[in-house]
Amino acid sequence: MCGEYLMDTLSRRKFLQLATGVAGSLTLGLSMEDIAQAAVARPLPAGTPILVIVTLYGGNDGLNTVIPYQDSTYYSLRPDISFGESEVLPIGEGLALNGSMTGMKSLWDQGKLAIIRGVGYPQFDHSHFRSMAIWQSGSPVSATSTGWIGRWLDTQPTDPMAAINLGSVLPPLFMGARRNGSAVPLTGLNLPKGSIALNCQHVAKSSTQDTPLQAVASESLRNLFSIGDEITPILKTPVPISSDLPTVQGGNAGGNSALSNQLDIVSKFVAAGAPTKVWSVSLGGFDTHADEKGAQSILVGSVSSSISRFMSQIQNTTRKNDVTVLVYSEFGRRVKANASHGTDHGTSGPVFVIGNRINGGFYGDQPSLKDLDQGDLKITSDFRTVYATLADEVLKTPAERILGSWMPRYDLFNKK
Amino acid sequence: MALSAEERLRVARLYQRLAFGPQPGEFAKGLKMGADALGKRLLDPATSDPGLKGIGAPTVSDLGPFPDPKSAARAIFTLNLASQRIGLQIWWLDRMARANNPIEERMTWFWHGHWATAISKVEYALPMYMQHQTMRNNCLGSFTEMAQEMITDAALQYWLDGGQNTVKSPNENLGRELLELFTLGVGNYTEEDVKAAARALTGFKVVRSSGVTTYSDIKHDSSIITVLGKNRSYNPSSLVDHLTQHKRCADFIAERLWFRFVSVNTPTIEIQKISRSLGQSLDIGEAMRALIQTDAFGNVVNEQVKAPVEWFIGAARALKVVPSKLGTNQNLLRQLQSLGQVPFDPPSVGGWPADEAWLTLGNAQARISLAQDLVKAGNLTPITNLDTKNRVDGIADLFGIARMSDRTVTALDAVKTDVPTMVTLALISPECVVSI
Repeated sequence: MCGEYLMDTLSRRKFLQLATGVAGSLTLGLSMEDIAQAAVARPLPAGTPILVIVTLYGGNDGLNTVIPYQDSTYYSLRPDISFGESEVLPIGEGLALNGSMTGMKSLWDQGKLAIIRGVGYPQFDHSHFRSMAIWQSGSPVSATSTGWIGRWLDTQPTDPMAAINLGSVLPPLFMGARRNGSAVPLTGLNLPKGSIALNCQHVAKSSTQDTPLQAVASESLRNLFSIGDEITPILKTPVPISSDLPTVQGGNAGGNSALSNQLDIVSKFVAAGAPTKVWSVSLGGFDTHADEKGAQSILVGSVSSSISRFMSQIQNTTRKNDVTVLVYSEFGRRVKANASHGTDHGTSGPVFVIGNRINGGFYGDQPSLKDLDQGDLKITSDFRTVYATLADEVLKTPAERILGSWMPRYDLFNKK
Repeated sequence: MALSAEERLRVARLYQRLAFGPQPGEFAKGLKMGADALGKRLLDPATSDPGLKGIGAPTVSDLGPFPDPKSAARAIFTLNLASQRIGLQIWWLDRMARANNPIEERMTWFWHGHWATAISKVEYALPMYMQHQTMRNNCLGSFTEMAQEMITDAALQYWLDGGQNTVKSPNENLGRELLELFTLGVGNYTEEDVKAAARALTGFKVVRSSGVTTYSDIKHDSSIITVLGKNRSYNPSSLVDHLTQHKRCADFIAERLWFRFVSVNTPTIEIQKISRSLGQSLDIGEAMRALIQTDAFGNVVNEQVKAPVEWFIGAARALKVVPSKLGTNQNLLRQLQSLGQVPFDPPSVGGWPADEAWLTLGNAQARISLAQDLVKAGNLTPITNLDTKNRVDGIADLFGIARMSDRTVTALDAVKTDVPTMVTLALISPECVVSI
């Protein structure tokens, strides 16, 4: 209802602009008033939790992210791609963050980082695609075409701004049975100019004669016009300042990576009070079958600096206590290195949950390097426990409606 | 006698799914010919194709190893690398858009998504072109033959770290994807099979720039291993034979064909029919003939979102646009990139996504922008030559649209005196974005 209402008002406004010639072209070229208006048009109520999901594609090597640096088995199984004590950032219990993850270490020291260890699901699948589909669907038992965020969207009022994925292709995570999240390209949305804009909206109207996919096609076209107006001005705002980070060559450390560019956009929207409750961003390249050591440090270093920079930006907004970041990958990697100085597909890995409200620390048991399951780490934690906790605490929706009956929870959030 | 809606749908589907959409005037001919005859003609066209006249081979050559980053030669090398890549990508788009008999392009496009290898990692155009030729030469032939050639393909080997898979310590990347994505499908093998397949694939060495793969028995692990229950010493070729002769392989190929040409929902009965038609040699042409003859091929529920390249080529064919002449090549590739699909550069070894993944805000926007460029460059006379009252029907036939909603008819009718706008709207309409 909300979405339709929005659509009507925006169409009307656009029509008036056209009719009166105020905006001879609908470039959405933007005055300061437009920007302010977009930010306050229908802001997220203060204190509404926001979830930022960071997907690491390719299978992040958990053992070279959260490193069992005091375990001699780690060194004997990975002679060429292990990190020694002098290269890592110890965080207790014989574990250390990869030396490139100084930003995450700082969040750990502030008690804002929870590390859930050994996360996976039963009957683990080593396929990138199958395993990622399982993580994104949130359903290891029965295959489903909907994602766990998509099913949450199904419980929500229609609003194309409710969940936004940055990137031009929609991930399965965001597909619901009744509605999908939105996918917005990093470059933003440049709506067409002139009369074509109005005409486009005529072919975008919903029709009872549409097939199911045609209905989705017309909806995406409608949404382009309804939320393009809201999104574009926010994209033009400056990124919130991260005052507590060192400045490197005129910018904050960690800027300009693929992930930090996405998170910059998220921070702008959060700062502007945009009505978006779930964000999805991603980084690829984690499929380190060969020459892993240097690449792994660069990859997790980028994740670490991008997220710490983002968290720092958020601290300067009124939403600083509302944002929770989830970081996961489709699997960890094989314990023993291969001959290409890389690792093949494995099973469980660490999941990170970050936020001001988080009870920092370890959750779940660290899988043993000696007691392996066919060369792979055992699963000690189930991702459904993480998702269910986030459903309760962040999405504020009964987990049953998203995940079915799944009872365990982590005590991830402080309730003060 | 009026044509039945079912027959019109079937004809539209044949053009959409097997031919990237009709060329001007073709749809009416197809309707006259009937779906059965049209299907046969599309799958077994005349050998010469005047539409491709003047399109030579792309310029691809062995550029040698990467020069030192600080050397003067490096800058020129990088430019050559980029220009060969762009040349190759545009060359294929031109062929797709101009072919009068596009089945070879369409099937090669399918196989490109199947053995999805990306130039973003391979970097050199020459090995990508060599792989392309292997898929093209076998596109309607024997899958077994294709798989045998692909397993020694330099681009695929490099893409999946084949050269790094050694006796001492196998790298499973190629072995796993060979089982999962290329021959059997996920869930039809064990982790032990993956490890064994990796050992059976040891012994390759790849020179990326020349696209030359060499195989050495000495560097191959020839010990007795078990793959899918069969205990023996394998080499890459006997492994591929074993996999392609496995009863699951024909089912898997049938499922993949169904997934890309018909629907993401795979019905058991049809899959079995197509699987049987593949026969001992896994004859792809026979499978395609069986596929288009199933009742379900003409069932309205089996709709499909056109992948961005398919949508773009469909528009280019109808409007007689030659991709290499549509503005700059870089700009066209950028536009396809913003739609999420560029030839020779799939996002992962799993290939491109399907259906709703393409129906995003970003895609809607990029489609509007590219549609405007296509219309500006296109030949609109098939519509401008029509009486205004016939133009909406004319557009449906031009793009091979089976049926239009009242919404779209009304929207197009309102701008029937402004043909460029009318055609642009048709291109972005749900009826043109989704192949029903």
